[in-house]
This record gives sequence, structure tokens and C-alpha cells, in this order.
Amino acid sequence: METWRLIDLEYRDNPFMNLAVEEAIPRVVGEGKAPSTVRFWHNSNTIVIGCFQSARLEVNMEACKETGTEIVRRFTGGGAVYHDIGNLNYAISLPKGHRLVPDQNLQSVFRKLSEGAVEGLRELGVRAEFQPVNDIQVEGKKVSGAAGSIRWNSVFHHGCILVGSDLSILGKVLNVPRAKLEDRHVASVQKRVTTVGNELGREVSTREVQEAIVDGIENCYGVKVESGVLMKEEVGLAEELYQTKYSRLEWNLEP
Amino acid sequence: MEKLRSADYKAPGGKLVRVRLREEQGQIRSVKITGDFFLIPEESLGKLEKMLEDAPLREAELRLLVDRFFRGTGAQGLGVSSDDFVKAILLAREG
Repeated sequence: METWRLIDLEYRDNPFMNLAVEEAIPRVVGEGKAPSTVRFWHNSNTIVIGCFQSARLEVNMEACKETGTEIVRRFTGGGAVYHDIGNLNYAISLPKGHRLVPDQNLQSVFRKLSEGAVEGLRELGVRAEFQPVNDIQVEGKKVSGAAGSIRWNSVFHHGCILVGSDLSILGKVLNVPRAKLEDRHVASVQKRVTTVGNELGREVSTREVQEAIVDGIENCYGVKVESGVLMKEEVGLAEELYQTKYSRLEWNLEP
Repeated sequence: MEKLRSADYKAPGGKLVRVRLREEQGQIRSVKITGDFFLIPEESLGKLEKMLEDAPLREAELRLLVDRFFRGTGAQGLGVSSDDFVKAILLAREG
């Protein structure tokens, strides 16, 4: 049976380093120097914007200052998300051509590589469903958003799961453009999302969700997930990406 | 005289394409496209913006250019299509 490496490495108070590690892994997996990997991690309160987004347009800078929220740009497309320690991030890095995602279609990647998370959430009792383009929803409310890419000879998919996040801060720090809310018959981002805790009516730890997702991944994809550590190439590359890209305002805030 | 134009266009499926451009006498001088869509390779968006410089703000020409961008780069959009980019830019002409 195929084995995937589990990486539990995170920098809760350094979202810039978290994103540097996030990029280093698929790059090194694509070089064939690291195995297929699933990583779990958290950020303290941070807005992570998509690579095509304008920080100025998407983020309420004043509210970020007031709440001590950091802003970091990721290397994948999609929309801005608010992270806090009640938010669990997972990331899957596979070599290009992997049997699970043999074609080069990004929608197929999102659908296939969301299955493990959907299965894990269902195992916990959440009625989760994949909703194209890139969401996992519970009865029309978003509980997880995903993003990803096919590059560096790898297929990469990551998602954030709202486990017990503070949705009141989320509504303050993100600007949701009026055009985005049209057709949805709701007035705010806060009403369009839910958390695993809300759905189950109890406090749920991100560890519990992580374990359920690992089970979901093993069952859905027929793989064994085993704890591992970063290769020295990944550590070196993450340091370099941190210095040259993710710790820099030019990357995070421009355009 | 140069004018700043902008538009937020919501593509079918819900992704937003936000266009900010400088227009002079019906031509694009420069354009910045942002949004929550997906496009791979990611670096290709800059090529599209470059291709649009000095293009006339007319549908037929824009359509030709954006189609040529997708054909030429082999870029793959998700949540955004060639048609959406054209519509977003045309919407900016009004705004």
C-alpha cells in the first residue's frame, strides 16, 4: 500500500513561515526528493489572500490593525480566508501524474483531493459535501475552502476548515465586495459560513478533525498516512522562500 | 485625457474579476486584473495584462486578444473564462 508522509510542522505565530513551508513541500515533492505528503497546520489570526487578489481591495486594514491580524499572500489562486487557531489547514502534495489525479484539470484536482476531508467531516457527523468550484459546504454554508495548483512537476491542493473559528472577527477583517454577495440572498460573509463546532453543537478540537481527515484520506485514497519530518531540501527551501518572498511586503501587499 | 476605470464583475459560479485600468481615447494604457479566480500557470496573468496594453476597449478586439492569450499560453482558468475576462474589461469601460 502506498504511504503518504504526515507533516505536523507549523509556525502558529509566523504565518509567513507557514506559507514558506507550504510552498517548499510541493516543490521538493515535484523534484522526487520527498514523498507524497499531507500537512496539517494552524495560523494565529491571519488573513491569507489568494495570489491574484489585491490586499488593498480585499482586506480591511484598519480592522486588521485593531485585531492584530497579519496579512499574507499564498501562491495559489482563490479567495481571501481568515485563519485563527480554530481553523485547521491541510495541504496535499503529490507528484505530477499521480494515479489519483492523472489529468491536469484543476477542477478534478479540487474534487478528488477534497474527498478525504469530506469523508473525515462526515465521519464526525457533519453533513459535508463538495461544492464546485472549491468549497466544502454544509446545507449551503461553507465550512471549508480549497485552493491549489499544478506546477513544479507536482499537484498541490490545500484547504482550511473552520472548526471553531471566531466568525465575528472574520466579518470585520475581510471586505466582501457587494458584487460577490449578489444572488446569495444573505447580507454578510458571516452568514454564509459555518464551523464544525456549530454543526455538531459542541466544542470540537482541531486535533479531532485532523484525525478524522487522516482516516478519511486513508479510506478514500487507499493509502497509509505515517508521521514524518521535512527533508533538508525542504527546510532549506522554506528558509529561502521566507527570506525572499513571504516575509516581504512586496509579495504580501502588492498590488 | 487619461481616465481611471474600474469594475467588479461576478463570473458565473461566483468568482469575482476586478479590473482597474487606465484608458486614453478608447485605448487601454495599463490594466490590473485581480480576483478570487484560479488560473494556471499563475504567472500567466501578468502576460495577459501586458497583452492588453494599448488594446482598444472594443469587444471584438478584446475577445481576439484574450482568446489568443489562452491559446498561446495554454493557461487553464477555473472559475473564470476567456469570456469573463472580456466582460469584466468591457464593464470597466462603463465604470
